[in-house]
Parts: sequence; structure tokens; C-alpha cells
Amino acid sequence: MKRLLFFLLSSLLSLGASAQASAQSVSDTLKAQGIAQEFELDNFVVTGYQKIDRRKMTGVSTTIKVDDETVGTILNVDHALEGQVPGLSSVTSTGAPGAPLKIRIRGISSINGNQDPLWVLDGIPLEGTEVPTMDDLKDIDNLYQTSIAGINPADIESITVLKDAAATAIYGARAANGVIVITTKKGKAGAPKINFHTKLTLSPNMGLDRLNLLNSDEKVNLELALLRSDYTFRENKGDVARIIANLGETAAYKAGGWSALSANAQNQINALRNINTDWNDILMRNAFTQDYGVSISGGGNKATYYVSVGYSDQQGNVQGVSADRFNTTMKTSIRINEMLKVGASLFVNQRKQKSFMTDYNGFVNPVYYSRLANPYFQPYKEDGTYNYDVNVQGGKEDSELDFNIFEERNNTSHKRKDRQVMAIFDAELQFTDWLKFTTQLGLQMDSYTIDKYAGEHSFAMRKDLERSIYSYSTGKAPFLPQTGGKHQVTEGHGSQWTWKGMLEGQRRFGDDHEVQLMLGSEIRHTDVNTVYTAAYGYDPRTLTSQTVFYPSENSAELFPLSRETQTENAFVSWFATGSYTFKDRYTLGGSIRFDGSDVFGVAKKYRYLPLYSVSGLWRIGDEPWMKRVKWVDAMNLRASYGIQGNIDKNTSPYLIGTYDKKTIFGKSEYIIEAETAPNPSLRWEKTRNVNVGMDFTLFDGFLTLGVDYYYRRSSDLIGLKMLPLETGFSSTTINWATMQNKGWEFAVSTRNFWRKNFHWTTQLNFGINNNKVLRETIADNATYPSREGYPVGALFALETAGLNEYGDPLFSNNNGEVVTLKELMKLNENGRSTLTAEEQRALFKYMGTTDPKVSGGFINTFEYKNWTLGINFTFNFGMKVRVTPSYRNTQYDRGLNTNHDILNSWSTENTSGTLPALMHFDSKPAATATDAEKNRYAEYVQYEEFNLYNYLDTWVRNCNYFRLQSLRLGYKFDMPWMKRIGVLNATVSVEARNLFVIASNYDNYLDPETMGNPFAQPIPREFIFGINLGF
Amino acid sequence: MKHSFILFNIIAAFLFTSCDKFLDIQPTGKVIARTGEEYRALLTGVYANFPDDRSLTTLRTDEVYLDKATITAEDYNTYFDIWVWNDAAPSENTATYSWRRFYHTIYIASYIIEKESEIEEASPADVSQLVGEAYMLRAYSYSILVNLFGKPYTKGNPSTDAGVPLLVKPDVETVLERSTVEQVYQQILYDIDMAKKKLNVDKWENDLNYRFNKISADALMARVCLYMGRWQESLDAAKAVIEAYPELEDITPSTGYTLPDNHNSKEAIVCLERVMKSEYKGIGYPDKNFITSIVTGDLRKNRFFKAKTSAVYDLLKGGTDDTRSTFRSAEFYLTAAEAAARLGDLNGAIDNYMTPMINNRYLAARRTPTINAMKAMTQDQLIDAILEDRRAELCFEGHRWFDLRRTIQQSITKKYGDDETYVLEEGDSRYTMLIPKEAISANPLLSQE
Repeated sequence: MKRLLFFLLSSLLSLGASAQASAQSVSDTLKAQGIAQEFELDNFVVTGYQKIDRRKMTGVSTTIKVDDETVGTILNVDHALEGQVPGLSSVTSTGAPGAPLKIRIRGISSINGNQDPLWVLDGIPLEGTEVPTMDDLKDIDNLYQTSIAGINPADIESITVLKDAAATAIYGARAANGVIVITTKKGKAGAPKINFHTKLTLSPNMGLDRLNLLNSDEKVNLELALLRSDYTFRENKGDVARIIANLGETAAYKAGGWSALSANAQNQINALRNINTDWNDILMRNAFTQDYGVSISGGGNKATYYVSVGYSDQQGNVQGVSADRFNTTMKTSIRINEMLKVGASLFVNQRKQKSFMTDYNGFVNPVYYSRLANPYFQPYKEDGTYNYDVNVQGGKEDSELDFNIFEERNNTSHKRKDRQVMAIFDAELQFTDWLKFTTQLGLQMDSYTIDKYAGEHSFAMRKDLERSIYSYSTGKAPFLPQTGGKHQVTEGHGSQWTWKGMLEGQRRFGDDHEVQLMLGSEIRHTDVNTVYTAAYGYDPRTLTSQTVFYPSENSAELFPLSRETQTENAFVSWFATGSYTFKDRYTLGGSIRFDGSDVFGVAKKYRYLPLYSVSGLWRIGDEPWMKRVKWVDAMNLRASYGIQGNIDKNTSPYLIGTYDKKTIFGKSEYIIEAETAPNPSLRWEKTRNVNVGMDFTLFDGFLTLGVDYYYRRSSDLIGLKMLPLETGFSSTTINWATMQNKGWEFAVSTRNFWRKNFHWTTQLNFGINNNKVLRETIADNATYPSREGYPVGALFALETAGLNEYGDPLFSNNNGEVVTLKELMKLNENGRSTLTAEEQRALFKYMGTTDPKVSGGFINTFEYKNWTLGINFTFNFGMKVRVTPSYRNTQYDRGLNTNHDILNSWSTENTSGTLPALMHFDSKPAATATDAEKNRYAEYVQYEEFNLYNYLDTWVRNCNYFRLQSLRLGYKFDMPWMKRIGVLNATVSVEARNLFVIASNYDNYLDPETMGNPFAQPIPREFIFGINLGF
Repeated sequence: MKHSFILFNIIAAFLFTSCDKFLDIQPTGKVIARTGEEYRALLTGVYANFPDDRSLTTLRTDEVYLDKATITAEDYNTYFDIWVWNDAAPSENTATYSWRRFYHTIYIASYIIEKESEIEEASPADVSQLVGEAYMLRAYSYSILVNLFGKPYTKGNPSTDAGVPLLVKPDVETVLERSTVEQVYQQILYDIDMAKKKLNVDKWENDLNYRFNKISADALMARVCLYMGRWQESLDAAKAVIEAYPELEDITPSTGYTLPDNHNSKEAIVCLERVMKSEYKGIGYPDKNFITSIVTGDLRKNRFFKAKTSAVYDLLKGGTDDTRSTFRSAEFYLTAAEAAARLGDLNGAIDNYMTPMINNRYLAARRTPTINAMKAMTQDQLIDAILEDRRAELCFEGHRWFDLRRTIQQSITKKYGDDETYVLEEGDSRYTMLIPKEAISANPLLSQE
């Protein structure tokens, strides 16, 4: 690798030198070529395989120019797409620096398979671009990077999003989720051009006010009230209960209330009221982000080059969270002779991320902790030593492990380092003016190291020690070493190479006929492996660790010392595309691709299934009879039909087992567990696409309008199918499920005002998508409904209808009657439902979907003399989200803080409360208890054990928002003296990102977009100052 | 230019032919079994996960007593309805029988049997043993399934009574009906016969004796024929087992013995099932009536149980990682004794089979009187005495329920607390269990009849 780098560097340098020498002589052609290149971007669509003349493009695509004026300041490529592309929805799962966006193009088309679009860099499909679902704590806490995050946005010229079958079918089995093609900048013939930019970003501290947390006074009152109530869950938690218990006055207080407390107790409790620790200030900060970049480009008529270096350092609003990236990019293109042109590009980057170490139930996550920490708790004692927050629940019920967020931050670390090298070599052999052969070889090497360390004096380690307690014959003791910390390292390596060769011909016959044909082949090989190792009793100073003596097999499984995975896949494809154009007005196109892959084992009958498309384009505006209609500048009609594919890598036609080790009697043996039923008739997932669209340019370019309607039916989706148990398996994944997406896409842009010194353009683009699962099976014993007939992101909930006389939720059943939970679910006296699983499923009501129905962007650009003002809005409408309940009616832990909802819970003192009352039972009521008591117990058990509380419709919220994504003001310096000192251009800009969001009710949450996840870091508000200089 | 064309064609042709090879990647970590070692690991996988359902049947017998005062809510919800034979409408959380897991074992066993000729890198003897064990696993699984869910062979009409579906080919696309009890037994006998031909390991080391060895084919034969009422065949097979494993654990000294359900006991033949796991042990207590029925002087009363209070006993069998028992020699002494007695050879039954049992179980002073008492018995009385001994010897090892089924299917009365009484009538239909609901709902061809 080093040698390769050296070779490339030296060749680039020598090229640069020669280019400079020849620069003077070609300065005349420079301008012309520059213009030509601009023209190319506007008039050609880059599909990753071909450059297609926009006038013959039958497929649907959107190209966006990646520059500050269009997309504002972005540090990651995926953010460039937000609100820019009709039919593309993007959702931010967390505001952590470097976190990926969840992007969906024209809805979701797979249930269990990959749902992320395919990313292509200069013709080479990238690996490692999957984004985890980000739904749970695990995903949020893991430092995650996709391979796209390594690309420096400053190196990107444009991004093309391919949407319908005609545009994507050439990508065959990877096209179902759409394709995003990145085209990077390249050198232009001419004098070396140096470009420098810097962007400095300030993200002010967010403020947790929106969370509506209780202040000390409110919290103390709540604890006092609860201690006298019949809600006895974790009764000894909370400082109030602790103070009273320490003074031995619990019984007195319960009997007599506040006045029964001694003056000492009252004083101590009142002292709590006066402490108001500002967790916001402690855990969050003003964040400062810097981004610098220099690029040099140029070339002669034989060769061009582009070299860039970039560095960015991004701080998170959460203390201790940061990400940085260092990039270098080198590109060159050399014309060897009339026929042959070769090129090489090298993208190298290193990324580092720092975050907090987390535990398995999330207390250590500062975002989460800031909501749970008591306002009266002070993290430091007066002498500066740690105060431990014993209200945080440790590993086991009612245990009190010492926890202090500062100690945790000082004694733990969580880092991730990514290194990425991508190299692309291409060659073009022009046989005649109508026939050429191009070939491309792409290499991608990604590696990462995730390093987690927890010192001996940390909650994380204490928790592990507690979890490792084992009952030895000599008594209970942890089996992990009791001194030292832990050090967990995960190393991952991914590599791929792709080779493709294409023969392309394009010829005009006479004046009216034009034929274009391309044949090609592609092979691809990927290899991914990860190694996890853990050391316990670790001392970071001496780098030593201690031996772990596992008392049993189970203990070893609980704290594994190493784990390894490896996956290798290979793909072979053939493809062809062709088009015929008549009179420059009618174009018919088609493409076909055969994909083979080892993913389907050796089931040869399913290798090489063809995926294809046919499409047509009618340029109505160019018809002679349309020429008379003056107000129409251009008008096109497009239609396409085709099939896209998708792969699921987890099923096989063979009985595949996984290795494990088991000890039956003292001797450890290998076992193979073959718990996945083989599926002898496994196939690709297929998505059939129909697309009809029209483009208009009207009134002398005043209005441009694009409308597309699509219908996508995804079938053979890998889904679960139940098997007769006598086969030895309960279910198998087969090509079973079916889903459809229907929708409209609109892109409207208007040139509202176009005078010499003042331009105003408006762009509105949006997509409306309706998703429906047509066929799906669920396990027979599932008590949550199937999505059949509903969108894939369907949310179901139990419809509540107020509270009963005890403050417990009432429900509206399917007959519209108001019933108690016991009646609704026909609970027996032990709180178990006596309904069948099917009947239980029928109790749920459909609430909506978690995916946006309408999403898009609204962009206004004003140009006045040297000033540019850009206002970009993005919006998502029609989503629902299930939030975590503000408190659980059976499990609210009084030792932790919560939001104001708890003050609205029903109780005998607060009979006007509208939220469910707290309830707790230590044991089943005696046989002599009242029916009401017994019924309440049954409901209590159901809430307690079956998570039913989360399914109340109370916790389903609307999620619609309209966000001011970017407000940017730029000024372009244009002084005569600048030329003299060699400055070609100079721009300064100020930008505000995410300045405000207008949304449906998101009370108690920081941002509507991250409402569903209490662990997610808030999406920051940013103020950016940027300078751009060209020499 | 032409050359380039040819070159391209050559490259293309090369690709077409070689890419199938390019695509044949052996996944790591995951495996499609190919070598003997991999097939062994596959088999070890099903051994390691073999269901312990035989011990769950213990709950249905008269061996266990659930104490209303001490039972946990979780145990109550999980096991109570099994204990009181509430098969028709058990509460939702009631433990279910491992129907699928048995069939998974059968699937893997059938898979190995089918692939016998394709197993690579293993000696013919090793392959033969492996396949023999697969036959044993299949036969053994069916012997349990048919006794859980089919009518007893000796009661009713085996050629028409519904047994369990017979999966003999590893095919996930089949949908099976219930075969008759007779058909299932024929399959078991066939598999035992095949196993006998294939098995060649006489004895596994103690840390591997969960595996089936050569003699285990006879052991299963003896048990299955006993269940079928084929006394002579049962006796012959049991004799062969006793010849290979004659030793009995002498539990009469106060120390120095190993409990016979331990895999290190000299009685151990095959130790696959955890016949009384620790979680089952905690559900209830050994039934007091049962313990008092064991005569004083029979040391099993002292070695298998320990008095906690005057009314409550703790079970000493089971509960550890070492206690697994599928076949052990005492069972075959008792099987031989019963078969011989049923065939009319009363003296043979007493002298050859019961005497060694008594010598290793009773206080020295009580041995001769016990033997003499047996000598004085009629055939029926002797059979009853042998069955009583069997009950004491094999208690809490998953035999009782199947023995109750094949014999008189006696009436059992259980009291829960002071006010709840549950009765299983003599010959009650609940002596045959219902097929698990989830199995019925997953297969339209299955029914309870």
C-alpha cells in the first residue's frame, strides 16, 4: 500500500510540473473547456456506468451540485441530500457528530433485507454503507461510521440520485433501494488553481428546558407525596425517603405527614429544595467545529490533476463527544495517445471519533442521565471528591452501585478510529469516433478500531463486577478480577475490489436515427472481518491485564474474551443497455443485467436471473406543432417499466450451521447448531417499477416543473414463513412477503425575479409516498398485529378512553364500548390474558406509520450584486412516533427525575389528573380481598410484565416538522486589486443551520426528529462563518 | 483494433467459464457439514440441546407435591396446570413440551443418516458409529414422543390409534399427518436394528458418555419391548445389557457411593438427559406418601431423600451438571425381573435380577427377609413388588409416568393447599397428552384425534 501511495504521489507531482509548463500555451483553450465542463454537468447524467445525454435520458434522476450556495455547509456527504431531491427522505437519528442519516428513496422496498440506497463513487459501488436502524440504545451508543463518511464534501462536484427502473436497472440486484452516484472534482486544463476554504462553526449549548423536567422543589414534593401513598415500588429510593429513613421517622411520616417530621428532617429536606443543579450546563457545552481544506488543480492538454487536503474537527454539544477527519485526494487523468486515456484517483482518509462509554441500560449516556439525574443532587462534595448518585439503579434490583457521571467521564473512554483507502484506476480506449472500450478497477479498504476502556473506579466496571457474582462453594464472589478495569477492542477490516469492462458504441445513421449500445461485465469481491478482544483487570499504565477464571460455561459466555467474524462474498455480472433515438424526439431505451453471487450458495438455477428495464422518452416540446406554443420552452414525457433486485445475505438453500463450543461433562467440544431451515428455492428480492413522468420548462424558463408518478411492487421479499414444527424448524425465511410503494414526486422551480443585479429563484420539491405491506406472516403466538394491509412502519396501539375511578386507563374496544384492561384482555386473576394470540392482536388499532408520507425541501435563493442569500427548508409530514412513556405506571422509580407529566398523573390527591395513576402490589391480594382489588392486581401484573403500558395510544405522537435547515448569506469580493495579487475569487459567508423547527407537538423532547429515542444526542443548532479563496 | 476485439472476447470467455469457481466461497464461522468432524459437531449440537421432557412428566406423576404455601408465582404459572393434568385449558405461561426440539433432533439425525455416503475425512468405523448414533437419537426421540402423545401400545389398538407424525427424511417442505402408534413403534424397532448394525464403540469415556454406545441399542430395545408388552424380547435385550454392564452402585454404606443418576456412577450406560434439573427440583417436594411407601430398611429412602422436617423431604437425586441419566444398569435388572416374572419365571426373576438389586439397596439385615417374602408371592404379587421396587429405584428419573401408562393407569389424587383437590381417574384419557397447541396451529393436517 505504501509503495502504491508513493508511486501515485510521485507521478502526480511530476504530472503537475509538466502541466504547469504547458499551461501557458493552452490558456486560450482553458476558458472554452471550463465552459464545456459546466455544460457537461448540466447536460449529461452520470449513471456510474455511462454519461447519458440528458436529452436522451429516459430514466428518472436528480442531480445536485454540491457547493455552498446549493447545500450550505456540510461536513458529511449524506447531508447534501437533505431536502434537495424529490422522493428522497432523510431522517436524523441522533445529533452526534459524524452520525449517518437514514436515507430512503421512494419508500422502503425490503422487510428483512437491506433498505439503504447503493452509493457509487466515480463509478465504483461502495461497500459498508449500511446504516443501522438506530432504534435502540445499542445502535445509538455504538460509534458508527459508514464508508461515505470518509469522503470530503469539498471534493465533490455533484451527486446524482437515480430513482426509477430505467435509471437503476443497470445496477441489477443492488438497485432496489435506489442509487446515489457521487462525482468528484477533477482537474481542468489550465494554470494551477489553488482553492482554500475554512469554515468555523459554533453550536451553542442546546438547553434542556424543552424537556420540562421537575425542579428540586417539585421533585421533593413528589417524593414526599409518594412516600405517603400506597405506591411502594422502590420505596426507599430518593433522597427524601433516605433522609426520613435515616432518622427513623418513616412510620411517623406515613402516619402524620410533614408535621410529624422532626425539625431536623424538615430542615434536611428543605435544604434539598434549594439545590438546583443545572445538569444542562454540566453535561452539555457550546461546541466549536473547524473545517479547513486546500485543493490544487490544473493540467495541460495531455494530463490533468486534482489534489486536495482537508481537515475537520467537529465537537458535539455533549461534553466529551467529538469527531475529526483528515482527507487527502489525488486524481489524475492522462491522455496517452489519440486512442487511449487513463486515469487514477486515490482517496485516503482517517477519522477519529470520541464518545462516552455506556452501559447496557444507558444511565451513563449523558443525554439520558441529564433527564434522570435529580435536580437536588450535587455531583461533588464540598472537598471536591465525588458524590455518588445511588439513585441510579445498578445491575440488579435495588442494588446501589456508586455512580458519578464525572468519575465515569474521567475513568472511561470510548474511541473509534477509521482508516480508509479507495483507489480507482480507469482506462478508455477510443477505437473509432463511435466505439470505445472503457475499463475500471476500484479498490476499497476500510479498517476501524473501536477502543473501550473502563477503569477500576467506574460505574461500568462496578456493574460488570456485580453481574459476574457467582455462588462459589466458599460464598458469593465475582469471577472477574476485582482490581483493575477492562479494555475492549474491536478491530474491523473490510476490503473490496470491483472490476468492470464496457464496450460502448454510439452512432448516428442519417439525420434521423441514432443508436447507442453498451455491453459490459463486472466482477466484485468483498471481504469483511471483525475481531473483538477483551481484557479484564486491565491497568492502562502498565498495559497489563489479569487472568479470568470462569466458574462455568455460562459465565464465560457472559463476558467473552474474544470473538471473531468473517464474511467473504463474490459477485459476477453481465449487463447491456441500449437506446434508439428517432428524429431527436423519440427515444426508446432498455437495459438488462445478469447477476451471480455466492450469497445463494451453489444453487445454480437461481444464479444469473435477469433484471431488466424498458423505457421511453418523447420530447413533445420539440415537435414542430408545439413550436407554435410560445410559452412552452420544453416538454417531455417519460415512461419506464423494469425490475430492480435486492439481496438478503442471511438465508441459504443449504443446511448451514454455526460453530459454538459446549461442555456437557467437563470436556469442551465443538458443536454446530443448525437452527436455520434451509430454503432450497431462494431467489432475489424483486421490485417491479412503473414510472410515468413529465418535465416542463415554461414561460421563457420562468417555471420548471417535473412530475413523476411511480408504482413499485416489491415481491419475493424475504419474509418469515411458519413451518409445521414436525420439520424440526418453526419458521424459515422464504421469498414470501410482498409490499408496494406508490407515490408522486414534484420538483418546481421558478425564477421569480430576474433583473441585472437581482435574482430570486424558488425551488420546491417533495415526494408523497404510500407504502403498504401486501403479504406478510407473523408468528402464531405473536400478540402484536401483522403489518399486512398497513405500511411497513405501521404503529399499533391500544385506544384509551380516559381513566377509571382508581386512575387506571380505560379502553375503547372494537365495539366502541369503554372497558377496563381486565375486560379488554379478559385477564385471569394472575394477570394473564385468556384471549388467544389472534384475539389479542385484534385489540390493537392502527395509528399511523413511522415513515414520512410527504417529505421534501423548499429553497429560496436571492442574489443581489455580490450578495447571495439562501434559505433552505426541509420538511417531513405524516409520521407517527412511539415515544418512551414519561413514566411507567407500575415502575416509576422515584429515585430518578422525570418530566412534568408525572404531576398530571391521577391520584387520590389529584383526581383531576389525566394520566394513569401509579400502582404497585407486593403480592397477590388475599382471597378475601375485594373484587376491585383483585381486578386491579390482574391489571398490575399485565402492565408490569408485558410492557403493555408502552402500547397505550397516549404514547403515540404525531411527527411533522418544517425545519429551517440553512440560512446562508454570502458575499463575493470583486475588487480590481485582487487580480493583481493573484486572487481569483474570494467569498465570505455566514450561515445558520437548524435555526428553528416548526413542528407538531414535541413537548418534553428536544427535537421532533429524535423524539422516539431518549438516548439520542440533540440535533445541534449551528452558526457558521466561512471563507473561500481561489488563487 | 481487431486485436483488442479478440482480446476482449477472450477475457469475456474466460470470465464466463471461471466465474462459477469464483463464486464458490466457503463461509467461515458458518458451515455446511462435510467432514466427519463437522458431522460429529452437528450431532453433538443435538445431544447438547436434547430435551429434558422425560423429567417434565415427573410433575404429572404421584412423585411430586406442590406446596401452596411456598410455590413461587412464576412456578405456579409455569407448572401448576401440568401437575393437575389441566391439558385442555392451561394458563398461557404453562411450560410446553419440546415437540419441535424433538423433531429438530430427528431432522438432524435423518440428515446425517441420509448423508452417510458423503461424509469425508473420517474412517469407515467412525462414520458407521456416527450414523449408528443418529439412528439411536431418532429411535429414542420417537420412543419418547409416542409415549407422550400416543396411546400406550399395551392399551387400546396400536394399529389404529394415532401416534405422532413420522419424519424420516430431512425435508422442510413436507407436511405430515399423524402415523399410527404401530407405525411409530415399527420405525423405532427398525432404527434400533440399524443402529445395532452401525454402532461400534463399546464404552465412551465418562466425559463423553452422553453419547450412545454399542449396548445402548439393546438397552432401548429392552425398554421399548417392555412398553410394547413383548416380554421375551425385552428380557433378551435386558440380559444382553446386564452382561455388558453388570455392576450396580452399592449405596448401603453410609459414604463412598456415587448416586446412580450421576454420569460417573458405575451404573451409567448413557447419560444424556438431565432427568431432574435444578429448576425442576425447586418447584415442589417429593410426595410424602410416596416416600412413606418405601419400606424401612430400603436405603433408597435415606440415600435419595433427606428429611427436612417430619413432613417434608428434599430430593438428593439430580440437580447438578453431573446428573444425567438415560440408561443405567439398575433399570435393566428391573426390566429383566419384570419380564421374567411376566413370563412365569418367578425364581429366575428373584434370583438373577431382584437379589442383586436388593443386595445393593437394602440394609444387610433386611435383605434375606425381603427376598424370602418375594419367594412367597404369587406371580401378580411379585410383578407388583417388582414395579414398586422400580418406582423407588427410578423415581425422579422420568420413568414413572411412562410406567404408570403402560400398567394399570391407576387413579391419582392431588391436594393443593387445604381446599383444592384434583383427581386423575383410573384409565383417564389424560394419561395420553394432547399435542402442543403451537404444533396443531402450524400444521393443518394435525389433530388431537
